[in-house]
Amino acid sequence: MNHHIHWQARAIPFQTGESVASALQRAGIHQLGRAPTGQALAVFCGIGQCQGCLIMADGQVTEACLQICRDGLTLQPLDGDADV
Amino acid sequence: MSDHPILIVGAGLAGLAAAVELARQGLPVLVIDQAQAIGGAVHRQPLPGVRSTATGAQAHRWSRLIAEVQAQAIPIRCGTRFGGVDHTGAALLTGALSTLIRPRAIVLATGARESVQPRPGWTLPGVMTAGAIQSRIKTLAEPPQGRVLLAGSGPLLLAVGAELCRLRHPPIAIIEAARPLFNPASLTLPLPYLTEAATYLAHLLRARVPLFFGAHLTEIIQTNGPLVAQIDTRKGPRNFAVDVIGLHDGIRPNDAGLTNCDVIPTLRLGDCREALGARAALADGFAGGQKLAAELLGTTPPSPNHDLQRQRAAQARLARIYAHDGLARLAEIPAETVICRCENRTLADLRALGPAPTARALRLDGRFAMGACQGRFCAEWVGRLSDLKAPPKPIGAARWPSRPISVADLLTTSDPIEKETK
Repeated sequence: MNHHIHWQARAIPFQTGESVASALQRAGIHQLGRAPTGQALAVFCGIGQCQGCLIMADGQVTEACLQICRDGLTLQPLDGDADV
Repeated sequence: MSDHPILIVGAGLAGLAAAVELARQGLPVLVIDQAQAIGGAVHRQPLPGVRSTATGAQAHRWSRLIAEVQAQAIPIRCGTRFGGVDHTGAALLTGALSTLIRPRAIVLATGARESVQPRPGWTLPGVMTAGAIQSRIKTLAEPPQGRVLLAGSGPLLLAVGAELCRLRHPPIAIIEAARPLFNPASLTLPLPYLTEAATYLAHLLRARVPLFFGAHLTEIIQTNGPLVAQIDTRKGPRNFAVDVIGLHDGIRPNDAGLTNCDVIPTLRLGDCREALGARAALADGFAGGQKLAAELLGTTPPSPNHDLQRQRAAQARLARIYAHDGLARLAEIPAETVICRCENRTLADLRALGPAPTARALRLDGRFAMGACQGRFCAEWVGRLSDLKAPPKPIGAARWPSRPISVADLLTTSDPIEKETK
């Protein structure tokens, strides 16, 4: 685990091939932001169906559960308060 | 047009089995999957260097299918998402393979989605589907961090619980609404079902996991600490403080936003058409592939598949064994309970639409099934709450795109069809 993704200002290690969702969960990050409706964004279905875990990955909106980690990947919440 | 491939959406059991049958008949196929690896939900593959958590029977079934996929040199593009097919037969793919294609036929094998009944607090971070926990276990052989509670109804709860035990991280408890072990009809299930269940129970009992049958998770609350699950057991209320809750109330076809196309054959196979589980999905994939090949080549259609009938009967029996009164509780949930997760719409919002709202009112006024998941997780309950006795109706007709597509993805999509017609 020498490589890292960056969740806001925090560097998080990952296992080769794992999803952003699973690396963030291991780091204790569950709330990934808050939708404009007030709904917390978090992993729910884990397989790309519910759209509940949307984040910004290198500037693009994507599902944290489908996005695969790569070294230096920069991640931000879409909006609202998130776990750090 | 005969050189155009048959597009197969989903590289799980049904999709790959269909691909094998079509390729055997000399028909070109292209298999896509939105995940980064083949396998689907049931045969989700471990990452390199991670040991597989598959049972011997599962591993055997998968390696046999993969041997045939390799023998036929079937082209598979992972990380590729199916946006939909329009009335002209043009299909939009985005992601790793980003293009418009005009397939000769389409096989939709997008598998199942989990059904999760709304409960107060089910939208809190840390509350996920039992399947989400299971896919993490399958890819990483690693349990979620912290205390895990599994609740809802269905055989998957026992399966995920057993997998957690094998990883030496047993769940705090399993809350199952039905009482399958107390139903004598359980013994009439096919032998493979019984041995599977016995294996799970053995793991759970050895790890002394408390199993509550006929019990319901009624509410999840969180105040700056762990998630607290309120449970209605047959012997009175209990609560459990945990970090992760896996909910599951059965599986349904994952068919939201999937439309048929009038100008090319469109076939739905496996759980995507009828959620009958892995054994049926494999049989249906092979049978469906044969049927489509016969249709395209003008040969004699194959005889009906008895395997599928047997699995359908077994699943119907399983559903009866797992019957419970959870639906009656649906009507009693507090009015402020969120029903539509995407648009944060509550039971009170649904009631405000009046009795028997039309699909149009549900969508345009209520915003139900209008969010990014397209009703995958709310439509069933909106339907049920409108009429508790009838099976839920879809809210309006299915429409593509079958998933949100970003403008960035559209801009990078190549359009060979446009070039053809110019």
